[in-house]
Amino acid sequence: MTTMRITINGKAYGPTEIRDELSMNDYLREYLGLTGTKFGCGMAQCLSCAVIVDNPDGSSQTMPTCIVPAKNFAGKSIRTIEGHAQNGQPSVLQKAFVEHFSFQCGYCTAGFVNEGQVLLERLAKKPVARADLDKTIQEALNGHICRCTGYVKYHEAMRDVILADAKRYVS
Amino acid sequence: MNAATRLGLLVSMTFALALAPAMSVKSAGPTATLATPESFSSIGDTAARSAALFAEAGKVLTSARCVNCHPAGDRPLQTDAGRLHQPPVERGADGFGAVSARCSTCHQGANFDPAGMPGHAHWHLAPREMAWQGKTVGEICVQVKDPARNGGRTLAQIHDHMTNDSLVGWAWAPGYGRASAPGTQKELGALLDAWIKTGAVCPT
Amino acid sequence: MELSRREFVKLMTSSGIALSVSHATFAQTPAFATRETLPGRQSWNPAATGVGRIDGLAKVTGAKLYASDFRAADLPGWPANTSHAMLIRATDATHVFTGIDLSRLSGALKPSRVVTAADLATAGIRVPAFYAQADLFCPVGKTPLYLGHPVALLIFEQFDAFDQARMALRDPSCVNYGQETGAVAIAPFGAYRFVRVAGSTPGAPDVYSPMQAGWVTPRRFLNVDLPVWAPANQKGPADAQASFYGEQIRAGLAANNPDQLVLDREFQTQSIDPMFLEPESGIAWYDPKSKSLELVVGVQSPMEATESVAYLLGNARGSFKPALIHTHCAYMGGGFGGRDHTTMPLYVALAAMFYPNRPVRLANNRYEQFQSGIKRHPFKMRSRMGVDRATGKIRAFAADHRLDGGGLANFSAQVATVGATAAIGMYDIPKVDVSTVVFHSRAVTAGSMRGYGTTQVLTALEVLIDEAAAALRLDPIEFRRRNALPTNGQTMAGNALIGVTRTDEVLAKLANHPIWQDRATERARALQQRAGILVGTGVACVNKDFGTGADACLASVEVSPEGRITIRSDAVEMGTAIGTALANRVAAIIGGVADEVAMAQVDAFAPLGLVTSGDPFSITQAAQDAASRNPRWVAEISSPSSASVGAHFSTHAAFEAARVIFRFGLWPAALDLWGIAKTDPRARQWDTARWQQRKLAIPGLPPLDLASVAAKAHARGGVTAAMVHGFNRWSWTNASFKIAGETYTADIDALAVRTGTGTAKARSGSTTSDRFVPLNRTSINIPPAINERIGVAYASTCGTLVRIEIERATGSVRIANAYSVAECGQPLVPEVVVGQMQGGFAMGVGQALLETMPLYEDGPGNGKWNLGEYVVPRATDMPLNGLEIEVLPPLKPDDPPKGMAEVVMIPVIPAILNAIYDATGHRFQSLPVTQAMLKGVLK
Repeated sequence: MTTMRITINGKAYGPTEIRDELSMNDYLREYLGLTGTKFGCGMAQCLSCAVIVDNPDGSSQTMPTCIVPAKNFAGKSIRTIEGHAQNGQPSVLQKAFVEHFSFQCGYCTAGFVNEGQVLLERLAKKPVARADLDKTIQEALNGHICRCTGYVKYHEAMRDVILADAKRYVS
Repeated sequence: MNAATRLGLLVSMTFALALAPAMSVKSAGPTATLATPESFSSIGDTAARSAALFAEAGKVLTSARCVNCHPAGDRPLQTDAGRLHQPPVERGADGFGAVSARCSTCHQGANFDPAGMPGHAHWHLAPREMAWQGKTVGEICVQVKDPARNGGRTLAQIHDHMTNDSLVGWAWAPGYGRASAPGTQKELGALLDAWIKTGAVCPT
Repeated sequence: MELSRREFVKLMTSSGIALSVSHATFAQTPAFATRETLPGRQSWNPAATGVGRIDGLAKVTGAKLYASDFRAADLPGWPANTSHAMLIRATDATHVFTGIDLSRLSGALKPSRVVTAADLATAGIRVPAFYAQADLFCPVGKTPLYLGHPVALLIFEQFDAFDQARMALRDPSCVNYGQETGAVAIAPFGAYRFVRVAGSTPGAPDVYSPMQAGWVTPRRFLNVDLPVWAPANQKGPADAQASFYGEQIRAGLAANNPDQLVLDREFQTQSIDPMFLEPESGIAWYDPKSKSLELVVGVQSPMEATESVAYLLGNARGSFKPALIHTHCAYMGGGFGGRDHTTMPLYVALAAMFYPNRPVRLANNRYEQFQSGIKRHPFKMRSRMGVDRATGKIRAFAADHRLDGGGLANFSAQVATVGATAAIGMYDIPKVDVSTVVFHSRAVTAGSMRGYGTTQVLTALEVLIDEAAAALRLDPIEFRRRNALPTNGQTMAGNALIGVTRTDEVLAKLANHPIWQDRATERARALQQRAGILVGTGVACVNKDFGTGADACLASVEVSPEGRITIRSDAVEMGTAIGTALANRVAAIIGGVADEVAMAQVDAFAPLGLVTSGDPFSITQAAQDAASRNPRWVAEISSPSSASVGAHFSTHAAFEAARVIFRFGLWPAALDLWGIAKTDPRARQWDTARWQQRKLAIPGLPPLDLASVAAKAHARGGVTAAMVHGFNRWSWTNASFKIAGETYTADIDALAVRTGTGTAKARSGSTTSDRFVPLNRTSINIPPAINERIGVAYASTCGTLVRIEIERATGSVRIANAYSVAECGQPLVPEVVVGQMQGGFAMGVGQALLETMPLYEDGPGNGKWNLGEYVVPRATDMPLNGLEIEVLPPLKPDDPPKGMAEVVMIPVIPAILNAIYDATGHRFQSLPVTQAMLKGVLK
């Protein structure tokens, strides 16, 4: 058993006693009712379960929740899909995904939003050359499976968000 | 079984291993064992005995548990069948994964059996020069001995790595859904020790 | 169950159970219906300005929308705790099932309830006919009918026990087997033969056709599933004539005629999983006090799911029979046909009934979804095509199809017939003989999946067409053009396609595209300059049907005094943007985009008082005539969302409801505001009115904004809301109604209207039944029963070009460029049409190159398949910057929309195979063509 404390979207949760075998995905969805983080495969193949982990050093990365025990997230600060919009206003990336019609059934979208957001924050710290942009987006998003869209509009939205603020993201 | 027959068997096994087709990384199965160094004492010729000892150790080195992270290319393999890793991840600049897909993101500090997910604190790919996929036991032997391709290690350091490294040790506690490497890490160490003491001869 | 302001209406009674798809309203916790009615008045509506989907904001912010999102605590009035259930499934279908051993589940891991076949028998549970090929749980002493056949349901009070138990049950199997019996054999799910012999001159009646003679089935079967057709007799009954003409056609193809090129080829396709991202699940609660069962499920067939659960429990004893069943139908994380008519709602209902007063959730993980989810039928096809060498015209075509239907029948018979009647695709062939058999096996159930048989047959056909063109040294596109079925041409069932056929336009687009024009130079360039790379180009063009031949639609549209619009529809959302499509189609008529669209509504249409009887696919003319004298009778009340029906069919009722509101509410109000008298000729010129940016304009008068017109409509008591039902059997039912002293005729069969409410205040979650008054139809014209013989009637065309690069050393394929062009009438949400074409392309790539599963013990029925084994396309498999999509504009501005979501997935598959031939000289005759197979043919 582990005592689980975690910060999610700026809010502190716990302490809660949890089994060591409890997956992070089940902790979010069954214990906390935060079902914006999805369950797609349980094998880290589709990444519809991915959340953002914000590290103390200021870096962030996504992490699947289906194949990681909840206890590995103890003490961490994470962002889920529910935490991107502020006061009902979607983030720049969320707005772009909507306006580009990037998703259809929407089940993979939380994962794409988290991954895309981490990419934006990474590029803001370390921009890439324009010539490397498509490859960079592809490498970042390729872990995410979508069955509806063929990915094209997700990538277009990412590119447009980045190029709309090229000074910040592109060197 | 008399010594001659056993020798015949061992030699033919070595021969068979040497001729093994490129992709045969057959798992030895959960109950596969390793022979003790003593059981090779009936091989009179020291060089032949040395090669046979390494061939036995080669059962571990060519098992899925090892070859999967010693791939020929830049993509790991997975499962007992040694198929290409899904999702399609790659070694990245440092062998620990691409920027957006670090190995440790999914393969965390320990196995997570509820999901059948293997893990270890240092999960990563062996460098390209240490690729074992598609190689015979003899070729792997030569490679392992070559400082240019074994990370500049002496034979003693090779032995230490194989016997004591905890990532290597993972191969015998690989978690749910995965067959262990044959024998135990200690037994592997004993075989390699005996191999070194008999001149570290490589099987052909 | 305490719910305030709740209405449940007797939509129908099945065995004394009241059914309802209602929505509950509750003060604090948002009602299910509130969550699922999008976008909602307080939220950003991207569709209002065309910049996004109605459900866009909800989906991108992770709102609770999908069945798998809901727990008991989210559902107003439910007890707070969620219990969890799991199914134990057999992985052996060749030995007798002798029982399960749960001894390893001790202490806290012990299930609170175990349900087996014996419990269902004791409770008097019935299996609905559609699923009745097998027991819901295999009883002890019987061999499971199929791999993955459930044998027991385990229910755990708390999640932690459930979580630990499912781990403990993984290995070794807890299911025990005894004597070997071999696989269970049951009768084939369907077999048909379609023969057509055209008249000898254009325009002459067919000599023989399915339209004339009816559909032919075998006289009997040999060895379980080999059809024996009637002995040939030109003067005999219909099936004997079919045999006569069919054998003549085959003899002609077999004859050694030097004037005729005959290709005789076998092609086979693989088992495919729809692999929608959200595994099937449901949560349900049975309240024994009120005898009320409530379910939350995500299904493409809300009406059928509700009726099936009612039948399941309709004869049950005592506490197992509810008095009331409410089904809440959620948005779906993908469907593709795999959520239409599945057993999941039945098991969800059973979980609740066997664990009363405690909400229970049943959810597949991905292994279980692969193990139990509906699959695409693998086809084995032998096809023979005879082409006149001199003219390049196809003279005859014969084919035999065999489909493995897996365990349950599901839609196997329909997939077989759709596949058979699509076997000649877009071509005009005067002599056709196609037989099809779909048989049972122990494989996982195959059923409806995007394409529904056409994916398989059109792939085989377009590869065969390409081979014929090459053999005749004809340009492949010219060969297609020469043989294309023109507008009003007869299909192989003997009916004419409806509407204008645009295959010529699509072929011309393909022919003129640079990918096609440059194919030879690109191939040569690679050979010269790119060592180790082979380049090839492929083309394919298909015409695919949309609609099922019995498509019903239900909708209501309301305009508030402020001009805000609410739409309710029985269609369901699985990604197709049907909500936005509804809103856009309605907006064109009444000026504004809805800000409340509620999907999966069925009992919201209670005021229509609809009744039905018979099977709309097989009812006789006499029975239909008699039944339709009842002004409340319709051939079918509500249909599943499938078969590309969204655009053309599902939006139809809302479109017609909007027309009634415009004609009898907004238009008269506008006339008042403009001061146009009833006697003025302009008063009847509603067709000249146009909406722009929520303003109504006719030439020469100042535009009126929607809010003013709506307010006026309410104030003067005009029609401000309408509720409509429509039914289509390859044409719309048409009826007349008396409204405001006029006879109004439209393509609908039921209508209720609500007139101006004066100062109605917005009430969220209110039902639309307040003061809707049903109008009796004064005449009705239902499409005739003979239309049931039609195979394809409505169709859309899509053509695809691909340029591929093959790496010699590895056999890996990269799609360098592609072009896909389609026509779909009026695109209701153009960006979504493009998105569907991109997604369809990706799905096609998967089926051409990546996806496959063995059928039996090594396949997903063994419970060991996940995305590591079943590889679906990722972004890297797509030509992200190299895929050009074109949607042809409608021929006329007011053309209706046409269904397209399936057709756009198909031509890419044979185009890839044809490109592989172009690059390598090897013509593959099966799917998928994997990297290993390609490497094997490259020396």
